[in-house]
Amino acid sequence: MDCRETQTLLTAFHDGELPAAGRARVEEHLRGCSGCAAMLADLAWVDQAAGVPDPGPAYWDRFNARVMDRVEREADGPRVAVLRPKGGWMRQQLRYLVPAAAAAALVVVVVRYGGMTPGPPGPTAPPAASEPAAPVPAGQRRTKAEPESRATKKAESAAVARRVPPPILAKERFATVTREERDLMADRSLPAGNVEASRDRATAPAAIGVPSPPTTTYQRAPDGSPPATGADEMASGGQAGRKRMTGASALMEEQQGAGKAKSASGMRIAKEPSPGSPCELARTLAERERFREAEVAQRACLAEDLPAPSREKGLVFLAELLDRQARFAEADAVITEVERRFPQSRPLDLYRQQRPMVQKRQE
Amino acid sequence: MSADLDGEKDERLAALAAGGDRDAFNALVTRHRQAIYRLCWSATGNAADADDAAQEAFVRVYRSLPSYDPARPFGPWLRKIAWNCGLSVRRDGKAGVPRIAGGDAPEAADPSPGPEEAAEGNEERRRMADAMAGLPAELRMVMVLRAVEGLSYGEISLAAEIPVGTVMSRLSRARKRLLTALGGGS
Repeated sequence: MDCRETQTLLTAFHDGELPAAGRARVEEHLRGCSGCAAMLADLAWVDQAAGVPDPGPAYWDRFNARVMDRVEREADGPRVAVLRPKGGWMRQQLRYLVPAAAAAALVVVVVRYGGMTPGPPGPTAPPAASEPAAPVPAGQRRTKAEPESRATKKAESAAVARRVPPPILAKERFATVTREERDLMADRSLPAGNVEASRDRATAPAAIGVPSPPTTTYQRAPDGSPPATGADEMASGGQAGRKRMTGASALMEEQQGAGKAKSASGMRIAKEPSPGSPCELARTLAERERFREAEVAQRACLAEDLPAPSREKGLVFLAELLDRQARFAEADAVITEVERRFPQSRPLDLYRQQRPMVQKRQE
Repeated sequence: MSADLDGEKDERLAALAAGGDRDAFNALVTRHRQAIYRLCWSATGNAADADDAAQEAFVRVYRSLPSYDPARPFGPWLRKIAWNCGLSVRRDGKAGVPRIAGGDAPEAADPSPGPEEAAEGNEERRRMADAMAGLPAELRMVMVLRAVEGLSYGEISLAAEIPVGTVMSRLSRARKRLLTALGGGS
């Protein structure tokens, strides 16, 4: 065996991965070749020197507790999996397309017949053609091909009008809402939430030094049982809390309204966790000035596995939500955390410019 | 780790943890945390990201336990999750951030025999850590799994999902680069 062949086999020889026959031949060559023997010594040296800097005993002392803390919170908190929509691509597409088609048909009906007969009392202002489609219960869905009476159509349009979310003027009020997120808000009236937005992965905001509020309501227990109601979760939170959280549940149900009604086994599906993302829910609630509930949803959002940019913006948004509840010290803590984790954060810079106005409004 | 869990195999502990036994999961974390941290470090090249990734890896493992098949070896499954976590930490918005040199380990343990020896040892460790951090992630991974964890080529092949021949060639390249970076080599 010559030097060239030996050196080809030297790595495997060094690692003890060479079969016995090859090993014997390499050993024989090494006995008579100081150059190859030196190369073998180099391999041993570099392996011995190779290492990973050890973070030290204090780090390891805390390591398990940090993992277990996150695991415990996962067990008590929302699970990413349950927030993902069930069904395949087609079903997910139908969640958008069916209500959109129904809403389009209703727009035609309203444009054609609107104002010709007195409408029922209540909120009106049916959606304009350029507005996003509103969620429509399956029982009220019609296509143009289906014959129906004018009275039925009128009642239907009124029902839809009641479901149309208020104009999204509020979006301008949130300093941390980006253009993309505004677009998302504009789409929020579509049922079942943004499917892609819920596909994020999870890292809990473990290091945030802010007391965590009660867990959110739209979650399934680890054993897969149906999600707890708001009242269950807020059992110790007083009547007001109960009402608020029940409201959040209602909103989640509203968001998945089409999915529920569409199910063949209505009641069972109605208890399934919402496919909507807590991140979206937080925006929706904030838009409606339900900041406490929005904060809860935003924390659930941050407990998911978010890409760093989303986490950065999410934390800044959480700070804003706290500011809007006049919980400025807690907002400061979140901002400090953003500074620590995302030095020179642009979302934070932007919010800082708006923050005095936000705070002034709450004082 | 409680004494009765000490002797249990990983696969048994994983099955217990999947059934809700937190002590069993805690035992798994204790048993593998250092190896997983090192693997995550090899994926990220710095301590802060390695910490994030290692924590995330165990949380993901816990979350995935219900789908884990105890008939399969636990180690490669765990390492695969950890490696993906390490890579995703880099993908998650850190692409433009230069890698921090290996000497950034928090609270690095340094039982120092004397000031001069300690300084010398620290310097050598720092140079090596920098050289390791300077390797491409795929080379660093095989290097850590082999030289630090002592895995066989077959085990590395499973963990990295690459052929054994690739393991060998990557190890060879990694060692050459390290020798060059450290000024050694024949």
